[in-house]
Amino acid sequence: MSSGISFAVNGRGVTAQIDGAATLLDVIRNDLGLTGTKEGCTEGECGACTVLIDGKPVHSCIYPAVSVDGHSVVTIEGISDGETGRAVQEAFWDAGGIQCGFCTPGFIVTVAALLENNPAPSEDEVRIALAGNICRCTGYSQILDAVEVVVSGKERA
Amino acid sequence: MKVRRVTTTEQALEALAEHGSAAQPLAGGTDVMVQLSRNEISPDVLVPINDLAELSTVETNGGVRVGALVTHETLAKGALGSGYRSIAEAAHTVGGWQTQAVGTLGGNICNASPAADTLPPLLVHDAELELRSSGGSRTLGLEEFLVGRRQTRRAPDELLVSVGLTPGAPRSGDVYLKVGRRSAVEVAIVGLAMRLVFDRNEIVSKARIALASVAAVPLRVRAAETLLEGEALDGHLLDEVSAAVLGATSPIDDLRASATYRRLLVPGLVRRAAGVCARRAGVSSPVEEAYQ
Ligand SMILES: Cc1cc2nc3c(=O)[nH]c(=O)nc-3n(C[C@H](O)[C@H](O)[C@H](O)COP(=O)(O)OP(=O)(O)OC[C@H]3O[C@@H](n4cnc5c(N)ncnc54)[C@H](O)[C@@H]3O)c2cc1C
Ligand code: FES
Ligand code: FES
Repeated sequence: MSSGISFAVNGRGVTAQIDGAATLLDVIRNDLGLTGTKEGCTEGECGACTVLIDGKPVHSCIYPAVSVDGHSVVTIEGISDGETGRAVQEAFWDAGGIQCGFCTPGFIVTVAALLENNPAPSEDEVRIALAGNICRCTGYSQILDAVEVVVSGKERA
Repeated sequence: MKVRRVTTTEQALEALAEHGSAAQPLAGGTDVMVQLSRNEISPDVLVPINDLAELSTVETNGGVRVGALVTHETLAKGALGSGYRSIAEAAHTVGGWQTQAVGTLGGNICNASPAADTLPPLLVHDAELELRSSGGSRTLGLEEFLVGRRQTRRAPDELLVSVGLTPGAPRSGDVYLKVGRRSAVEVAIVGLAMRLVFDRNEIVSKARIALASVAAVPLRVRAAETLLEGEALDGHLLDEVSAAVLGATSPIDDLRASATYRRLLVPGLVRRAAGVCARRAGVSSPVEEAYQ
């Protein structure tokens, strides 16, 4: 049985008809056509599907769509429009924090959320914030480098 | 599967009363959604409760009362204050940021996993659960609430509303130590919570020890607590305490660790926990330095 929800995505109001256990990821990718958010494990383990709800990162693959009714969602498409998000994207590019790129939207959303809350995190704080995101290509050090580039405001030599 | 939309706790309780065991409360959904997709549960009706503001508050006057919907993120930031560090430490180990931002204390309790991280620290703080149905409220100790793996004494028409904790005491310290395969986003191989209250002469006046991942449910080990009460901490006593803990638990072999490995971890965790509790209570203890 379907049920109507209305919420904001990247600042724009949207409505959707959803089935009982539909996930937010289903709605974002299939109903709204926002395919920047990736589907990896579908069990909350890998972070590829990370989006922000009311500013906090969540695994959209296990987030009940019905629960976003009345809330505000930001996806990687919305992150790239913001100043912090752009800076993070460019730093990932510069520092080699992207290889196959599948994990990248999730990482960038999580890093952008971290920097919005804490513009100067320590490396430990970055590692803790990113513990719910998995990358099988980079070995993480280039990702940490990318965050460092944004935090220090410096270009990499 | 249907979704029953509610805006108040009363409406949620009505929905549960109407559908009984066919209804499944949905808080953060970090357990429910995974169990649904694995076909481990098959409720007819989901009752989302995530926006019930009444269940999302923390009260800290005198004792502490934590709403069932308070998230691990809020707890990990220390919302309960310095007397409840074990709870903050446990919440900080529940998955990654995405899980902590969404997962709730009430969900961790009602899901009743043997490895649920917040349960040992809640047990050492003598947690009392407030359960409410449309017929009324009752209070139940957490220990009594937990029956077996994913089994509790929650009636199908009841919601967990809040969790009451024993008030902080002077000269007390608490801690949660978790061993996993890696340092983050890991299910506990063993989790151990301890809380010690000392008298003016640095004698343990009250002890609580509880563990996760060593039995079908997280549990308190009374025999170990009794050994500590009335004594000063020393290495020999803590060996006896570890033996009592091992005697009361029944770790299993699973894909994360063998039962033997779990048993080998216990003595070190007991000594380290006692040392941290003593330090946090402001009591001099030879234990932590000697064994770390
Ligand atoms: C990637 C990942 C990592 C995880 N890591 C850990 C970990 O390290 N340690 C750990 O302990 N857990 C872990 N979990 C499990 C889970 O996140 C926690 O158990 C969490 O606290 C569940 O809360 P929730 O609000 O999401 O619960 P939900 O999934 O919404 O509910 C869980 C259960 O409790 C019931 N319920 C929820 N609230 C109430 C209420 N107020 N009254 C009555 N019944 C209720 C539901 O019906 C359901 O049976 C992990 C989960 C994921 C996906
Ligand atoms: S796809 Fe959501 S966490 Fe992996
Ligand atoms: S770049 Fe391939 S998974 Fe991270």
